[in-house]
Amino acid sequence: MKSSWKNIAEPVVFFITLLILWEILVEVIQVPSFILPPPGDLWVAFIKKLPILGHHSVITFIEAFGGFALSLFLGVGFAIAVVYSRHLQNTIYPLIVILYAMPKSAFAPLMVIWIGYGLYSKIAIAFLVAFFPIVVNTVVGLKEVEPELLELARINRASEFDVFKKIRLPNSLPYLFAGIKVAIVLSVTGAIVAEFVAANEGLGYLVLQANYNLDTAFALVILLILAVLSLGLFWLAELVQRKLAPWSAAVREVEGSF
Amino acid sequence: MPPLIAVGDISRVFTGGARTVTALEHISCDIHTGNFVSIVGPSGCGKSTLLKIISGLLPASSGTVTVHGKHVDSPLENVGMVFQAPVLLKWRSVLGNILLPVEFARLDVPSYIDKARALIKLVGLEGFEEMYPHELSGGMQQRASLCRALVTDPQLLLMDEPFGALDAMTRDELDMELLRIWEERKKTVLFVTHSIQEAVFLSDIVLVMSARPGRLLEKIAVDLPRPRTMEMMSIAKFGEYTLKIRALLAAAGVCAIIGGNRNLLAESFPKTNP
Repeated sequence: MKSSWKNIAEPVVFFITLLILWEILVEVIQVPSFILPPPGDLWVAFIKKLPILGHHSVITFIEAFGGFALSLFLGVGFAIAVVYSRHLQNTIYPLIVILYAMPKSAFAPLMVIWIGYGLYSKIAIAFLVAFFPIVVNTVVGLKEVEPELLELARINRASEFDVFKKIRLPNSLPYLFAGIKVAIVLSVTGAIVAEFVAANEGLGYLVLQANYNLDTAFALVILLILAVLSLGLFWLAELVQRKLAPWSAAVREVEGSF
Repeated sequence: MPPLIAVGDISRVFTGGARTVTALEHISCDIHTGNFVSIVGPSGCGKSTLLKIISGLLPASSGTVTVHGKHVDSPLENVGMVFQAPVLLKWRSVLGNILLPVEFARLDVPSYIDKARALIKLVGLEGFEEMYPHELSGGMQQRASLCRALVTDPQLLLMDEPFGALDAMTRDELDMELLRIWEERKKTVLFVTHSIQEAVFLSDIVLVMSARPGRLLEKIAVDLPRPRTMEMMSIAKFGEYTLKIRALLAAAGVCAIIGGNRNLLAESFPKTNP
């Protein structure tokens, strides 16, 4: 009990100290507030902009979560198809690898041309960014089955569908969740980058606006909100994992890039 | 009586790129119903490969295996398998794991639950039915995997170094339990091990194999009374069997097992041909 109390107290004390140091440092060195505003200014900016923050946060959330949900749905489906079809493995998979090697954020301007200015082009980028960690992890999870289990299935004349349902799919869950946790955070990044390119709403758009106005305090506030959003989504993924696959405490994820 | 399993001049060659490895060379032997047969030999001598060929999981490069007079060309029906690792499904309870072969074979699951529970009792896992593999010790996991192999009541039990990863005490304990189960349920057991003592202790017949390429050096009938007890390990006759197997392996060039004194053994056991 004592140690768990310490685990909460330690970071809290650390962050409060950090904020105080920040406030003092900015005061002493006389840093102009457009370069680094004191933490107090961030609070003021947050309160002042609160009425508009809600709407833009929701927009970015929809873009990120929409892209993520799409990547989960298509990524798992695609991974299953690749694992079971040699043709797909020989044809589409190399294409996916080439796409994987491209910086997905560079697609953002193209997406505006292809899909348009609105929500969908942002969802598309969030999807692109989140798709690969899901596919790569799910493929690994479906394939990395102990060979003895497959022998056991063969000697008992299990159907291919039974092997999928009772061995491969549950086996892939820890890997899938590792991929989900990477993907869900990346999808927020994807949405923001897409907003940078062309948008008139969303948190990425607000960051650009704050930059134009040299409102550094507000830009930092938005960054913090984005951190909260990403962490919230990450914890949500963890929560679902504990419910759905409690045996998969920790599997190292295969990193995805953006 | 015709043998249950007849292994006729089996060879197995693995080809990997430019390299070919001969795992098994001209193996022939008969295994009779109800016998406890061990295959003993150094690591990499093809013991597991032989087991897989007999089970029909792996084809032989040449030669034939017949079981019940039927040529084996696909996985055998109703065989129990136990591997070195328990390989239990992490997401299933002990009971759920034991019932897996029943589900795979599309048998009626509810009618097997009582059988599964009886097996759980037989191996001393009572009260652990609803626990998950990570909550069990290595020995308990291997007990569960033994139940899984027995749940469909197979005639033939194939065991690939099943207790090799366990500590010596747990291993002795499980050896005793395996014998008890074997005597109670009258199975034919094919047991791969690299422990000479374990092989002699458990078996009616010990098949001694040489290092790669795996050849059958000799088939030794172990004439020790049943039921076997741990004390038998210290009687002279037991020692004679283990020493004979050691000498066979030493004569075949598996020096690591014998240590330094090859000459002494070669004198006391003149080289025999299989």
